[in-house]
Amino acid sequence: MANFNLRKAEPKDVPDILRLIKELAKYEEMEDQVKLTEKDLLEDGFGNHPFYHCVIADVPAEHRCSLTDYSVIGFAMYYFTYDPWIGKLLYLEDFYVMKEYRGFGIGSEILKTLSDTAVKNRCSSMHFIVAESNKASIDFYKRRGASDLSLQEGWRLFRIDKENLLKMSAEE
Amino acid sequence: MANFILRKAEPKDVSDILRLIKELAKFEEMEDQVILTEKDLLEDGFGDHPFYHCILAEVPKQQQSADGHVIIGFAMYYFTYDPWIGKLLYLEDFYVMKEFRGFGIGSEILKKLSQTAVRTRCSSMHFIVAEWNKSSIEFYKRRGASDLSLEEGWRLFKIDKQNLTANTNKKR
Repeated sequence: MANFNLRKAEPKDVPDILRLIKELAKYEEMEDQVKLTEKDLLEDGFGNHPFYHCVIADVPAEHRCSLTDYSVIGFAMYYFTYDPWIGKLLYLEDFYVMKEYRGFGIGSEILKTLSDTAVKNRCSSMHFIVAESNKASIDFYKRRGASDLSLQEGWRLFRIDKENLLKMSAEE
Repeated sequence: MANFILRKAEPKDVSDILRLIKELAKFEEMEDQVILTEKDLLEDGFGDHPFYHCILAEVPKQQQSADGHVIIGFAMYYFTYDPWIGKLLYLEDFYVMKEFRGFGIGSEILKKLSQTAVRTRCSSMHFIVAEWNKSSIEFYKRRGASDLSLEEGWRLFKIDKQNLTANTNKKR
């Protein structure tokens, strides 16, 4: 079994965070959509007002797989949102463990840490989105008590992109 | 035509914010689900770290609502983080009192939100809409909104407090 350690991300972790974001995007066949840079991640995560938080999973040198030299092998990115009926929520944005490190309970431990963070911060729930095609992830979350609000309550996620925001900003 | 101004919410506005949150919840037949208090709204919105922001629509006293209010519309929003493109503006609640609709107040609020998003270097504005709320869907689509649930198959999930606590207590 892999020995691993979970900790809060620090500024020095930014290159690894970006690497893992890109790996997860590659898995979704969207790697070229990642426009974010290490500089953005540093300013946005470790400035006066952090726009995101990260939990990092790392392994000691002797436990690294031969396939990789990395010690940071998994992460979860989250932030706090606000529900006008119940207040603070924890929103899980990205969640990924490198393939060679799966099956050791690292994902479960990360989710447990996030649950703990949510409860400590007086959050009423944790929210996140999952692609309807991602059956393995849906089952993983359902085993931990997740319910599909899109199914139960009919919520649909909408976006107004920058082009249309600029159009609206400029309207008379 | 209604004269109105749009302004940032201040601590003194929390009772009006709560009133409008409850009115919108009533429209969704969920009024008893609002357990947030004025105290929560004050701490969470006007402390060291605001968890939400509000734009308010206000009319002059001579044009107050039938039940004597001058704050007659609001939008609640906060900032989220997309690991591919960075900061986003998330529109959480958006409501204009029935007797003040049709005067372009909603459009002006959305324009203000668009300006805020562009000024704070957000790549997009995101929000959820109930699939049965056809008039809102049309309102947003006219302004360039696209349905990400339809296009990309995203489903919103929740792990509520009971299950978060259960996850926290699980053995490794």
